[in-house]
Amino acid sequence: MSKLIQKKKVGAPILTNKEDENFYEALKLYDQLQHKKALKLVTASLKKNSNHAACLALKGCLNYQLGNKSEAEAPILKAIGKEPRNHYVNHLAGMYYKLIDNYEEAAKWMKAAVDNGSPNTGIIRDLAYVQTQIRDYKNLVVTRQQFLEKQPGYRANWTSVAVAHHMNGDHQQAYTTLQKIEDIIREHLNEGDRYEQSECILYKIQLIGESGLVEKALDQLEKDEREIKDKLAFLEMKGRYLLMLNRKKEASVVYRQLLKRNPDNVQFYILLETSLESASKPVEIRLKLFDKLASFYPKSDPPKFVPLLFLPASHPEFKSRVREYLLSQLKRGFPATFVNLKPLYKNLAKRAIIFDIVNEFHNLELSQFDPTVAVWTKFFLAQHYLYVNDLEKAEESINEAIEHTPTLVELYILKARIIKHKGDYELASAIMEEGRELDLQDRFINSKSTKYLLRANKVDQAIDTISLFTKLDKDAANGLKDLHVMQANWVLVESAEAYVRIYKNYVKQLQALEAKDEHEEGDKNIEEEKEEILENIDMYMGLALKRYNAIVKNFKIFFQDQYDFHSYCPRRGTPRDYVETLKWEDKIHTTPIYIRVIKGLSGIMFEIYDDQVRKHNAQLKELLEEEDTKSKKKSNGKKKLKSPKSQLIKKKSKLVPLVELEKDDQDPFGSKALSDLQNNANGKIMDILLELAKTVSDEDPMLKTPWEIVINVYLNEGKYVLALQAIRSLEKVMTRRGSAKSRLVGEYVLKLDESINKDTQINSAIAQVVSKSIIAAFPEFTKDAPDAFLAIYCQ
Amino acid sequence: MGITIRRATIHDIQAMQNANLHNLPENYQLKYYMYHILSWPQASYVATTYDDITPEADLYAEDDGKAEAEVPEIVTKDVEDPKGDTSYIDKGEKIVGYVLGKMDDDPDAQNRKAHGHITSLSVMRTYRRMGLAEKLMRQSLYAMCECYGAESVMLHVRKSNRAALNLYLALEFTTSSVEHSYYQDGEDANCMKLELKLEDLVPSKFQKGVEDDFSQDLI
Ligand SMILES: CC(C)(COP(=O)(O)OP(=O)(O)OC[C@H]1O[C@@H](n2cnc3c(N)ncnc32)[C@H](O)[C@@H]1OP(=O)(O)O)[C@@H](O)C(=O)NCCC(=O)NCCS
Repeated sequence: MSKLIQKKKVGAPILTNKEDENFYEALKLYDQLQHKKALKLVTASLKKNSNHAACLALKGCLNYQLGNKSEAEAPILKAIGKEPRNHYVNHLAGMYYKLIDNYEEAAKWMKAAVDNGSPNTGIIRDLAYVQTQIRDYKNLVVTRQQFLEKQPGYRANWTSVAVAHHMNGDHQQAYTTLQKIEDIIREHLNEGDRYEQSECILYKIQLIGESGLVEKALDQLEKDEREIKDKLAFLEMKGRYLLMLNRKKEASVVYRQLLKRNPDNVQFYILLETSLESASKPVEIRLKLFDKLASFYPKSDPPKFVPLLFLPASHPEFKSRVREYLLSQLKRGFPATFVNLKPLYKNLAKRAIIFDIVNEFHNLELSQFDPTVAVWTKFFLAQHYLYVNDLEKAEESINEAIEHTPTLVELYILKARIIKHKGDYELASAIMEEGRELDLQDRFINSKSTKYLLRANKVDQAIDTISLFTKLDKDAANGLKDLHVMQANWVLVESAEAYVRIYKNYVKQLQALEAKDEHEEGDKNIEEEKEEILENIDMYMGLALKRYNAIVKNFKIFFQDQYDFHSYCPRRGTPRDYVETLKWEDKIHTTPIYIRVIKGLSGIMFEIYDDQVRKHNAQLKELLEEEDTKSKKKSNGKKKLKSPKSQLIKKKSKLVPLVELEKDDQDPFGSKALSDLQNNANGKIMDILLELAKTVSDEDPMLKTPWEIVINVYLNEGKYVLALQAIRSLEKVMTRRGSAKSRLVGEYVLKLDESINKDTQINSAIAQVVSKSIIAAFPEFTKDAPDAFLAIYCQ
Repeated sequence: MGITIRRATIHDIQAMQNANLHNLPENYQLKYYMYHILSWPQASYVATTYDDITPEADLYAEDDGKAEAEVPEIVTKDVEDPKGDTSYIDKGEKIVGYVLGKMDDDPDAQNRKAHGHITSLSVMRTYRRMGLAEKLMRQSLYAMCECYGAESVMLHVRKSNRAALNLYLALEFTTSSVEHSYYQDGEDANCMKLELKLEDLVPSKFQKGVEDDFSQDLI
């Protein structure tokens, strides 16, 4: 963050009165982090002149810094209202909004400070960071340029301008900027600058290539070769450009050079084949090629494996080669032998051959080998049976293996997986636990055991288990806080899902009890039991929410994390990876686990919403039957039952240290988060959910889950036109995935139609418009034949 | 196959963090991984595997491949979003091992020689014992030497970690000192070191195959 006062007092204000003087003094103190002293001065000034805008703004910032966060924004807004063009006020407002992570406002006010003549160059830099954070690249170009003009002596400032141009879509400006500074600086570089020079050159060439000037890029690459340290990048770019220019022969040499550096990257083999144009040649030629490569790189996998992909199953070489490939791995005891072969399993003929080889080997040849070979062979067979979903045989094979060698952890991992597929999570977890006890030193098996305990809904035991490997602070009851600090999203998501299953089990219990209650009206014991179940439902729902929200929060942190790099990377001289990072952050919410989280969260939120609707309807009904005064209690449903039993409170307070995610967690059970949702405290629940889903679909419209959520939200809210639009977006996703008339889409169309029909309040004109649009979008749809429609949408 | 060793990028770091959390008790926040990639983009490597065949591998047409559609689970898989497992970085691609490397750059020591440092290394248990760790290490060492001029590389390993100690011995590291109670739980660390010389580090050299001198056509 820029200091408010610069050492060189460029254009220091002429101080006229005492308040201004005080303000200036207070600013100094602020910069020195002497917040209390500063506040004293400011308060004194404001006593004399309560309208002193700059003092007001500073007071806001100081209040924030001193922890009085709720009284921070008001004085700032007041200050802005009074003197919107005072650059001190602007600057302070910008800093305040940056502090609270409101980058839009921060950018607005920092820009105002610059535009209103702030002599402070630090604010220009800060403005660049917030503009990058909100991806306002158009203005970023201006800002970075402004800063460069102030300090042209640093290469970082040139690099920053280039990145801004690049992100703003102007490749040419970007690389000419880089070329310019390169030419200026070339004679003055010392050894320590060589790495930065190399990266900036590669960045420049990348930009030239991306702008379509492939020949020029290649030319430049060759010219600059001597200065480039990252030879891998150099060769990869060279190979790519040569291929693009159709200079395949030369490209093939480049890929051979790359293989020599890294013969374990399958990509290089594929590109080598592209440059040799061998993929279209007869199998025999390709075999020769890969045999040659295998002689160069006998310990690498691709030269042996790729032929197994392109050889037809019927080719005599396939059988002998696959046999050699897999038996040599079994004999060496690779646990991953099966995984290595799995890509071939898509081809049924190949699958059959592989199975025959292993089976025959198992039945006839094992005796000739070391006993460990038998174990790995049985292990392979068990995986095969699991793959083809023959769970009985799978279990049989793995049991044989365990009987043979009861001390191999890998066997228990697989057995647990097989049992899990059979649906017995408890037993699966017990088996994984057996495996864990065989190797207490290894965190991997501990993690597996934890995961399986969570799958069996044994959350506390799971956390105790994983805590054997976490950092334990002195007074911590378990490792949950450490896991939270370390952003262990996998533990959070598995816990959340376990809590969801637990509360759903309670819901089932409640339903069973309510069915009973019909007959035994007002039974006191049942009432009490019900009360307890309801408490449990709320508790576990809250905990699930809490865990899911923790992941959502981690992703906020992941997005924030880039901030420091807006200044760091240009100085460090790593613009290529910096630009990649910006793009990665732009899609951070499409990370697979995040999609799983919003799906889980949406489940909870739709339930809460349905509950709200039910209650609302019940209340309406009650209002209608007002004279009928009986049983108010009952219609208020779940919530209104007396306060929780003291026993439960006690139980919960004991649980706090076991479930809290941070020290002094304000909402350890997520009950506040839950009641906030139930009471629409932070806006309507459907709006919150919509925003979560939209964040993802905006980043990648080709994902299915977010559209499903969006559709259901709009249906709930009676926004049928929007729902239809979302269905069409979903249809695009499914079509792209090769499922043109997807049943899923068909079902949503029917659901939309049904929702409209059921909606008693809908304006009939709107209903007609939507119905017409449905038919326009889905011509096969007719109201009276939904089944016929679904028969078409059956993919 | 499926397993490829390649340079780590920013897109891999969440899954690297995930692998680290699964395998080792020394864990870091994501920002620390960002810091590695954005400070020393060449020093870290990952081992990744594909559930399904890589899209590039589609190049390999299969004449007798019974249509994939005959295997029902594949068809349903294809329309689903990527698996929500934390080791996946994208559809079908997951990270099974990584090495996180850095340079010790001490601003006060301008003239001192460059030293590399292995921050973390691990391989998921079901992919162990087939050479992945060794290959990851070799790539990282080579890159450190080539890009940053590292003259040596250093790392810490638990005294009781037999697998890792053997691995580093196989890579010709030597123990330079023992740091007492280096780890949180009080265990000692062996501080191990290796001098680096670029010509000796070319990763394919260790396979002892025929050398490709690029003089002959391959087909
Ligand atoms: C250490 C670890 C990374 C090794 O990974 P790996 O991919 O299985 O190792 P490799 O297959 O490349 O093994 C290379 C060499 O290391 C040695 N080695 C590896 N695992 C071993 C084991 N379990 N026992 C004895 N030696 C072993 C062997 O010398 C092996 O060569 P060989 O197979 O020719 O005998 C892996 O076991 C792991 O992730 N462990 C948990 C995390 C960890 O301890 N990381 C290291 C922190 S410093």
